[in-house]
This record gives sequence, C-alpha cells and structure tokens, in this order.
Amino acid sequence: MTKVYLVDDHRLFLAGVKAELSEEFVMVGSAYDVDSAIEEIRGLDPDVVLIDVHMPDGGGIAVVEGVGETNPDVKFLALSVSDQAEDVIAMIRAGARGYVTKTIEPQDLADAVRRIDAGDAVFSPRLAGFVLDAFAGAMPSEEDPELDQLTSREKDVLRLIARGFAYKQVARKLNISIKTVETHVSSVLRKLQLSNRHELARWASKRRIV
Amino acid sequence: MSLIEVGPAPRDDQHVKTKRDLHLRRRGGDRVVAGVAGGVADALGVSDAFVRAAFVTLSTVWGLGILVYMAIWLVTVDRVEDTEPEMVELQQALGLGIAFAGLMILLGTTGLWPSNVLVIIVGALAFGTAALTDRNMPGPLAALIDPTVEKPGRLRMLFGVALLIGGLAVFAANVGPLYEIGPVLLSVALTGVGIFIAFGPWVARLAIDLGTERRERIRQEERAEMAAHLHDSVLQTLALIQRSDDPARMSILARHQETELRDWLYGNAPLEGADLISTALKDAARKVEADHQVPVDVVVVGDHTLNESTRALLGAANEAMVNAAKHSGADRISLYFEAENGSLAVYVTDQGRGFEPAGIAMDRRGIAESIRARVERAGGEAHIDSEPGEGTEVILRMPVAAT
Repeated sequence: MTKVYLVDDHRLFLAGVKAELSEEFVMVGSAYDVDSAIEEIRGLDPDVVLIDVHMPDGGGIAVVEGVGETNPDVKFLALSVSDQAEDVIAMIRAGARGYVTKTIEPQDLADAVRRIDAGDAVFSPRLAGFVLDAFAGAMPSEEDPELDQLTSREKDVLRLIARGFAYKQVARKLNISIKTVETHVSSVLRKLQLSNRHELARWASKRRIV
Repeated sequence: MSLIEVGPAPRDDQHVKTKRDLHLRRRGGDRVVAGVAGGVADALGVSDAFVRAAFVTLSTVWGLGILVYMAIWLVTVDRVEDTEPEMVELQQALGLGIAFAGLMILLGTTGLWPSNVLVIIVGALAFGTAALTDRNMPGPLAALIDPTVEKPGRLRMLFGVALLIGGLAVFAANVGPLYEIGPVLLSVALTGVGIFIAFGPWVARLAIDLGTERRERIRQEERAEMAAHLHDSVLQTLALIQRSDDPARMSILARHQETELRDWLYGNAPLEGADLISTALKDAARKVEADHQVPVDVVVVGDHTLNESTRALLGAANEAMVNAAKHSGADRISLYFEAENGSLAVYVTDQGRGFEPAGIAMDRRGIAESIRARVERAGGEAHIDSEPGEGTEVILRMPVAAT
C-alpha cells in the first residue's frame, strides 16, 4: 500500500484530507511545520508527500529541497489555496511532481496521489494555465532551445487540461492513449524543472498583454 | 459546538541561561580591549564594569593591572559565542570587593606602592564610573526619578555618585595650582560631565522608547484596518454560512469569500479603472457562482484590454456560463481564456448532460444563436461542441490587433 505523509500548517484542513485519503492509502504521519516535516519524512521514507506551498520558515520549498537531498525517491504533490503563480512554479522547480488546489474533489485528490505514486506528473487546470503563461511567446535561449519551448502537442495537452478535461478525455480528444498524455505531461514537468529560461523565475511580475 | 485548535504547533522556546563555569575564557563579542576583563567577570559572576575598574586601579601600582591583564590574555582562548552567565549574590560580590581592597592594602605595605592619593583618586573614579555604567539603568539621577528602577539599582547609583564626588574632591584638594588657574573652567567641565553621566543614558533610552512606540502604533493601525476588512468580508460570510442550511449555497459562499480574501491578501484586487478582460471574466464567473451556485474554475493565460469587440466576447462568455449553470446539471464549470498570436479564445466547458446540437429545443437554440450572433457581429466566431452525456463546450474566438 502506498505510504502518504501530509504537511500543512492548517490543522483543520490536514485532518480533513487525512480522513478522505485514509480509506485507500496508509497515512504514515503529518507535520505542521517545516523542520519537523523534514526530520520525520527522512525517517519514515513515505511514497508520496502532500505539501502546502505557504508555510512559515521557508514554506513547502524548504521541505522539498531538504528531503530531496537525503531521500530522492520521495515524491511531492503541492496542495495549496495559493494562486500566486511564482510560488507554484518555484515549488515545481524545487522538485514537486504536481500541483492541485485545495478545492479539489476528494476523488480527484486520490487519483492525483495514485498518479504521483506511479511516477507521473499531476497538472491541475490552474497549473496548466501557469505553465502555458510562463512559456508563452518568449524566444528560446541559445544554450538549450529544446528545453525552453513547449512542443505544439504539449501545448495542446496543457490547453485541454486547462479547459477542465481529465487525462482520459484529453487522450480521446487528441486521439492518443492516456499513456501518451502522461508522457507529454511528464515532459512538460521536466522542462519546467530544468529550463534555464529566466522568464520562468521572474515571470510572474509582468503580465503579458497581447 | 466543539473548538478546534488551528495553528502551528506550540514550541519549546524557553530562553536557557548558561550556568557559570570557572573556566576562564576571553569574551568573544562584548569587549573593550581583548575581552579579558569580561571573561574574568563571567567566570566570577560579577559585573564586568567593576572588573575593569579593578584592573585600572591595580594598574596604578606600577602597571601591575596591565601586566596581569596581558598574562591572562596570553593563557586564555577566545570564547566562541557570547553567553549570559549567572550572576552571584550581592553578598558574594561584596566579598570579592573586600578581597580586592585587602589586596590593595597588602600592596600598600610593599615598596611598590606609589602614593595613597593617586590610588585613591583613580580607584574612586574607576569604581564610581563602573557603578554608574549599567546597561539596564537609566543613569544615576534619573534612576531616582524613574519609578521602574528597583532599590538595589538605586543604591548602586548612589554609591557610584558618592565615589565619583569623593574622587573628584580628593583630586581637587591635591591639585592646588590647577585649581587656581581655572576654577570656573574646572567647575563648568565637572558640571557638564556630571549632567552627562546623570542623564545621558536616560535620554538615549527615551529616544529608543519613542521609536518603539511609533512602530507599535503603526502596527496597531494596520491591525485595525485588517480587522475592519475581515469584519466586512470574512466574518459576514461566516455568519451567512452558519445561517444557511443549503450545502451548495454554503460552498459557494465559502468559495466566493476565499477568492476575495486571497485577492486582498496577495494584492490581486482589481485596480479602479483597470479594464482588463481577465479581471472582467473573473468577476463574471464569480457572479455566475453566486447566482446559480455552481463553482466556476477560471484559468487565464495572457490578457487584453477591454474594448468593444472584447466586450462582446465577454458578454458571450458570460451567457455561455449562465447557460451551462442553468441547463447542464454539471457540478462545476471551467472557463479558460487565452490570448495568443493576435487572437483571444474563450472556452466554457462543463461535464454535464450535454445535448444533440441538431435537435435542441427552440429556447436553447435561441441562446446558442444569441451567443453566436453576438460574437460574429464583433468579427469573431463561436463554436458549440456537445453530445448527449458528454458535456458541452462553447468555444469563442476573437481576432485582436496586437499591441
């Protein structure tokens, strides 16, 4: 059974998620702050960690980076009310494999955890929008143009996710398999994490106007 | 009713005072020369000012104080961090003082002794100053006025002032020629020094207090503003939710409040007169949520200013959302907006019951036509994609001049 760990400084929310997920997953533990989260996750070595973006003492990023040094196999799913694009993108760049908002339906959250555990990336409509926005319209850098641009197929997949379609529906609309959809999303995740495009880091400050 | 504790875990954050240890180390941070006097003070558990005074007094005996100082400097190591050692009782401190006096008297019997007058003047001035230099004290005379100063502090101040006056008196009595040259000058200088010693630290502390008070006032004003905002928005919504017994309505209220609060917290609140289609779409989505109690997920990529044709796009998008909320039966609606390559696109998507585009009833055809007509009049196009059981998607496109 998949071992799941929760990190959120909001206890009420944490209790709710724990109850929703406990039927299907082993809830191995939870933490309310960054330091104890890093320490416990290192000891428990869970499969998936659900982590809040906004927390005191460095936030979710500090946990993702702290655990990543010692336990690279632990996978992170960012879970937040925040719709600050730069926070979310920074979290993904630190190593999280997905981002969903806290308003997600319990069943969708369980799906997301399963997907993360299987090694796939989880893009909520909002994250897909952030990524399209971050990669939009800019020129690729000279060092690694491939990493700095999305292919048109990847954009198609992201647009459909942003429009609220599940992976299964995306696959049907584009006449491809779900596995291919997952491959595209993982590839976008990789570009997001590795691209040197400075716009990705600083992009949120400027909003693009056509 | 049950109370649920929300917030970060309580932490053991007690300030731990380190125990006094007799290992002699030089101070790292709070020092005058090399931290020797401070180190000795920490080891003995007495005020460092008195230890410094003792070194100065001892130095009158042919520089003995300086020799001892350098000897300790040579054999000790620097303390890495500054710790706060425990202070000994007043009794023990007095004992140390008497022992030092005994040492001086013993030195007086030896041939090294310079003269009683010199040692008494320097000793009285050094210890008098030491008694008056206490970081936590407002200054000798101010200490008598300041009600927060406790009795031992007052005694120490009086002791210091008495020593200083005594030392200066002995000095004046033995420097006859100097006294004749400029008695006025000397008295003015002494008065100036006295006033500075008496009130200087107090004035400094007052200035610091004023700054602290101002910061506190600003903080309170901010808190009041936040309280007012939370009262108008969050508390009102919470009250509404408590009185409502319709879960769908409660959820919409919560969602609406969440968006509004987040905008306020993160500074996304729409600016007055900022006519952007992203803001207008979000507002329209919120209104649909409130009116029809179906959540609308809004995702916006890029942006554009509002003008006649983009207003038509906005109106059509609004109609599509209302339509989906009323007829689709879906539990949420997605609104996706994208501005790219000189064209704006809006997708209003639901996963509801859908319909057969060819066989729709007249009233629904009317709505579909009005969406289409609206966009086409402004130079755009509309496409409606639906199948029974497969949800509905309204796709609107509008060309714009790139800016």
